[in-house]
Amino acid sequence: MSDIDYLKRLFQDYYRKKTNQIPPIDSLNQREFGFIPWDDIIIMNRHISFVNYEAFKNYLSKFSPRHIYSSGALYNNPDHTDMNKKGYLGCDFLIDIDVDHFYTPCKKDHDLWYCKKCGKNGIGMAPNKCPKCENSQFKSLSWICEKCLSLAKNEIFKLIEDFLLPDFKINKEELKVVFSGHRGYHLKIENEKIRNLSGAERREIVDYLTGENISYEILGLNDLNSNLYFLEDNYGWTKKIINKIKKNIHDYPNDVLKDILSDFGLNREIIEYILNDKNNFLKNLWKIKGLGEKTWVNFLKNITKNLGAKIDVPVSIDIHRLIRYPGSLHGSTGFRVQELSLSELETFKPLNEINQEIDPIVFAEKKDVKIKIEILENKVPSIKIKGKTYGPYNKGTIEIIPLHVAVFLLCKGVAKTRSFIDD
Amino acid sequence: MSDNFDLASHYPWLPSSLIKYYSNLPDDPKEFISEIFSSTISEEISERTFEIFKAAFNNLENVVYYKLDKLNVYMYLLIKILLIVLNDKLLTNRVANLYSKINYYDLLEENDYNIYHICNEELNLNVQYLPEGEVYGNKSYENNQQQVITNFKIFFIDYLNLVANLRDEYRKLINNPLSNGFVFLKKKTLIRLLQEYVRNKIKEVEIKEITKKDDLLNIKGFRELLEKISAAWKNRKDEIEYYEFDGTEDASFYPPCIQEIRSKAKEGQNLIHTERLLILWFLLALNVPIEDIVKFFSTMPDFDQEKTTYQVNFAKRKGYKVYLCETLKSLDLCRANKDKEKICTEGYYSKTQEAQRKISSPLQYVHVRQHRNRRESKNKSNINN
Ligand code: SF4
Ligand SMILES: [Zn+2]
Ligand SMILES: [Zn+2]
Repeated sequence: MSDIDYLKRLFQDYYRKKTNQIPPIDSLNQREFGFIPWDDIIIMNRHISFVNYEAFKNYLSKFSPRHIYSSGALYNNPDHTDMNKKGYLGCDFLIDIDVDHFYTPCKKDHDLWYCKKCGKNGIGMAPNKCPKCENSQFKSLSWICEKCLSLAKNEIFKLIEDFLLPDFKINKEELKVVFSGHRGYHLKIENEKIRNLSGAERREIVDYLTGENISYEILGLNDLNSNLYFLEDNYGWTKKIINKIKKNIHDYPNDVLKDILSDFGLNREIIEYILNDKNNFLKNLWKIKGLGEKTWVNFLKNITKNLGAKIDVPVSIDIHRLIRYPGSLHGSTGFRVQELSLSELETFKPLNEINQEIDPIVFAEKKDVKIKIEILENKVPSIKIKGKTYGPYNKGTIEIIPLHVAVFLLCKGVAKTRSFIDD
Repeated sequence: MSDNFDLASHYPWLPSSLIKYYSNLPDDPKEFISEIFSSTISEEISERTFEIFKAAFNNLENVVYYKLDKLNVYMYLLIKILLIVLNDKLLTNRVANLYSKINYYDLLEENDYNIYHICNEELNLNVQYLPEGEVYGNKSYENNQQQVITNFKIFFIDYLNLVANLRDEYRKLINNPLSNGFVFLKKKTLIRLLQEYVRNKIKEVEIKEITKKDDLLNIKGFRELLEKISAAWKNRKDEIEYYEFDGTEDASFYPPCIQEIRSKAKEGQNLIHTERLLILWFLLALNVPIEDIVKFFSTMPDFDQEKTTYQVNFAKRKGYKVYLCETLKSLDLCRANKDKEKICTEGYYSKTQEAQRKISSPLQYVHVRQHRNRRESKNKSNINN
């Protein structure tokens, strides 16, 4: 049996025995479904629909695809292949937070990239252009890690607590959060009124959430001659920005502050001035030698970036997106796409969850099953699952590891199974 | 200022107005039109309607001869029917602009209660009235502080619906005070949003499609009015006729993002700030003459020849660079996927680099098209030889 067949059988076993852990979603019969099967060539079968929840579950236990998606949108004819004839009825607001799309410091410890043309490789996020041959296509190995995932979780909380609840007054019950099964979280807002927003209107919300396309001029924040403390009560982004500046200035000791401010584009002289006049400088910006509007606006931009949520923008704007189905397995990790209540999310540890009900590492249940694998990639970073670290590995390493770790490495395509008889 | 009972006649676009005055309006507008033109008001309504059109041709902001009476209500319907029959987008946009502006000025005279009533009871918007007023921030002038206070806030979704076509920087959600699901705004701004509603309303075809246009044209008074408007519009249109790039540059080589802006402009639709910048820098980069660029903007509802000439010249001196595709994508102005344009989605094959390359800017799109065109005509001439 090939490894792919083996994985498929494991997935099938899950879908047959654990159907009760696959929740029905709202208006299931009006959603479009998409599946990626266990083939070599990765093509998504789209435009599939189900009359009801039972039919969907039957499909899963019969075909057990590698990846399972459903649309944020509702349609009259979800299975029509022509987008214009689907009978669009509205779309939930989808938010994707994935560490693939933002910088995390630990990526240099666990992410690798290879230039597809000249083979040059490096650590961390792939550059825009290969430093050796200027080619812009890379193969990358993006690894899963606790630190990255906790940064992604912070972003989800930032989104909910700094934006969706206080500013938009979204009902908590309308927020559906899931761990994506890989490197992030998805958030869905199920609200009748929001469903009817157009792409352009969604863009407005996205800008608000990320801080993109803000105008400091309109908000009065770029005026060095005025007392910016006066603006601290202004609803919306103005308040966020002034409060953030004040909070940073008061919370951090001077030596840390120096680094932060210089990272934000201020020079030594300006920083000195600010540190000497911590409680007053926002009303005296014009007094600061060397501080022009350009430098100040650049500083504001950095603050804004810091405050905004790091979401994958196209996902929230595109009304025809498909998103992973809750309770399904992620075909690149073997982890479950785990639904979470907001209180569960607070203590949730994707790679070491003690509450079995919400543990995404479903194959860890079979504790005693061990698999012998051989590493295929030149370099495979280490991974810490269930409190134990596996790897790093080099090509050719052979090891006996628990089933859930083996599934992860096989799904990632960096290892193959070795039967015991081999040696 | 009108009291509550008059609102319906003052603002014919209100849903209750239509119910009150047209509850027995037949599906076919023919009956309505023949009634009007056989009655005693025929002359006055023709004159007043023509005034509106004339002012719209000239992009005026207001009409002197505009009264808030019952006739005003009939006139609203008549204008809509005329616009449908004339079927000219540029004209429709101009009339819609003017008509909405007139209503804007009238609404400014209304008291808070009426505005609240119009928003909530009539238009089904979730607007809240704050009798005591709420301070939503401060303004800072030099070193003086001034509170900003309002009696109105609007639910953010209704806000987004109303500003959907405005999308200038001031209306962007991020640049507005949002708290607890509501955007705080001054009464004047709220009325500005109602103006948008009116503008869209007049463009909307609610009267069942006019299938028998000839029937209408058989009604004498109506035909005369229509011909009068058409003739006057034709004269005016020749003067402002949209500039077609028929000089050295072939506009058919422009990418989808640019084409979209061109067709909007052609219909006299307002362009948002970033759209204006994009087309301006793009045309400058292609060395389109300044006068022609100014002509391009002449269809804008807020066109001002002097100002535009100054701005175009200024941009030329400064030598700005055209936006990159990447930026246009983030500004939501890229049309590559919507229009399924191959060069935009798949790129082109670069012989020098022996690889498929993505295009990086709308200018590059033009270059690729021009290059292909030259190659094709060369091939053709080869065959001829
Ligand atoms: S890909 Fe570039 S040129 Fe093509 S539509 Fe988008 S922005 Fe315009
Ligand atoms: Zn390379
Ligand atoms: Zn990490």
